[in-house]
Amino acid sequence: MLRNYLLTAGAVFMRRKLFTAINLVCIVLTLVVLMVVTSLLETAFRPSGVEGKSARFLQIVMMRMDSPGGHRVSTTPLGYKLIEKYLKPMPGVERVAAATLPSGVAVYQGERVSEMQMRRVDADYWKILDFTLLAGRLPTSSDDAAGRMIAVLNATTAKRLFPGAPALAVGQRIDVSGQQFEVVGVVEDAMHVNAFADIWAPISTFASSDYRTQMSGMFTALILAASPADLPRIQRQVEGIAKAIVQDDPKQWQSTRFWADSKLDLVARMTTGSNESLDSGAGKLLAAVVAAMLVFMLLPALNLVNLNTGRIMERRVEIGVRKAFGATSSQLAIQLVVENVLLCLAGGLLALAATAGVLAWLEHIQLINYMRYDLNLAVFGWGMLIATVFGLVSGVLPAWKMSRLDPVHALKGAI
Amino acid sequence: MIRLNKVSKTYRTDKVETLAVKEIDLHVQKGEFVAMMGPSGCGKSTLLNLIGLLDRPGEGSIEVEGIPITRYRDKQVARLRNSTFGFIFQSFHLIPDLRVIDNVELPLLYRSMPAGERRRLAREALEKVGLGARMDHFPNQLSGGQQQRVAIARAIVGQPQVLLADEPTGNLDSKMGAEVMDILLGLNAEGTTVVMVTHDEHEARRTSRIVRVFDGQLVA
Repeated sequence: MLRNYLLTAGAVFMRRKLFTAINLVCIVLTLVVLMVVTSLLETAFRPSGVEGKSARFLQIVMMRMDSPGGHRVSTTPLGYKLIEKYLKPMPGVERVAAATLPSGVAVYQGERVSEMQMRRVDADYWKILDFTLLAGRLPTSSDDAAGRMIAVLNATTAKRLFPGAPALAVGQRIDVSGQQFEVVGVVEDAMHVNAFADIWAPISTFASSDYRTQMSGMFTALILAASPADLPRIQRQVEGIAKAIVQDDPKQWQSTRFWADSKLDLVARMTTGSNESLDSGAGKLLAAVVAAMLVFMLLPALNLVNLNTGRIMERRVEIGVRKAFGATSSQLAIQLVVENVLLCLAGGLLALAATAGVLAWLEHIQLINYMRYDLNLAVFGWGMLIATVFGLVSGVLPAWKMSRLDPVHALKGAI
Repeated sequence: MIRLNKVSKTYRTDKVETLAVKEIDLHVQKGEFVAMMGPSGCGKSTLLNLIGLLDRPGEGSIEVEGIPITRYRDKQVARLRNSTFGFIFQSFHLIPDLRVIDNVELPLLYRSMPAGERRRLAREALEKVGLGARMDHFPNQLSGGQQQRVAIARAIVGQPQVLLADEPTGNLDSKMGAEVMDILLGLNAEGTTVVMVTHDEHEARRTSRIVRVFDGQLVA
């Protein structure tokens, strides 16, 4: 049966070359957009590269403080004191790291001034994230303790400041906003949320030690669990810690709330503004993304429905013959849908190749710095799933309609 | 074998109502070769479609081997069509995109049967109509007579009890028409019931019974 479907589908597509080409272009354009988006989402959320352990880590980026009576609200990154005093001693976690958000700094080299993004991080940061070391070494807790003025550069920055191989940058000195740092390591470029920066230096290299006494400030916390199964427990634990925190000035800020989020939760919380509870709104965000993708597929699908109806109409005599010889409406509907899904899967393969090209181009033009786009098996799987859904969405209606043709009328070539 | 009891069929469009068949009683016996004759538009094809369960009567009932099929659902009717009837059309109605052998296999696709068995039966059917050497051709590579023989092979591949032929020689020259007629007579001689619509008196006389239709009714 399937062989017959395939033979018929292949023959019909080859007989109607223009129709097939129009259909394929329509499918490929739609799928390329959807697959590029899928690839971006995959790159952003799937544990990979430098954030290979993201399936078992949580992050706290912002906290919310409320004044007595709730008249005033402050939303701010965490202070180092809060991380050190409340989060680092947490039981049942493998590791807690502190890192600043990237901030702009000026790097001086003689007459040349370069603007860079810099993070200050502790030694645990390097153990949670999986940076690929290209040359030199990564900072350790003894560097933190000694307050050594050292820095790590990413590959692009190293090449920019010290042209040549990454190893040439190691041992060099850089002037960052008036502070002198010795470059001890060069790592591969990384775009991920927690990794993005040009330069990293230990937290203890701050010109002032005021950060040690601040409950709010410029830090984020990364919490690594032993297993992904521990994350819900840790999230509840963090929620409890937040509630128990007493701010330095309780009369000004009476209550504190923050949540340990997965990457998806973090994006969802920022997108939906869900700042009131442990629920980040990720479910709603995912539903919205899926709905948006379906709507995006709907217009070309409607177009395909029209084209398919025309194509199938041309085959009404064949439908009549098949019915005369015992085909049921459902068998015919399945055949016509299978043909459409096959066409869409062929479009999916073409779209996959085109998507690879588009992603390579996006990477080449560096629309987003250090962005790497993976067209991996998961994207391939998603692409084929999208193609199948597209084939079903655009094929079911005309197939159902045409399969219900009255055989006598169909044999006469009428509707 | 097939009995039509007071069968009527009316076609309705927005403005017009056409009574195509009016209170027809007809009994086609097993092994018969029935020729249906009558002027164009008299209801012959409608009657053939009703016999072949391609159409449902507006009034009256149809029995196949003594079983009334009035309450059959579409799926049951499709199964019965597949097992009992083979159709031959004036315009052949072969699927141009499929090879001859794949066209002939078509009725067997709707039965649960291994692919090898389907292929064997299709080959046998084609050999029976003298087209064993044309299996891998496409319909447009064959003459009209050959195409109609392929259509006959398709109709008989499922070994149906009844063959329904709607002017099977209407698009063929006399020589090819005679060849097709010989095949149908041969099949009838082997026990297959045949009901054929024809305008050709000479062909009709070669059958075992002639049924004449006029204005949707049988006439003596």
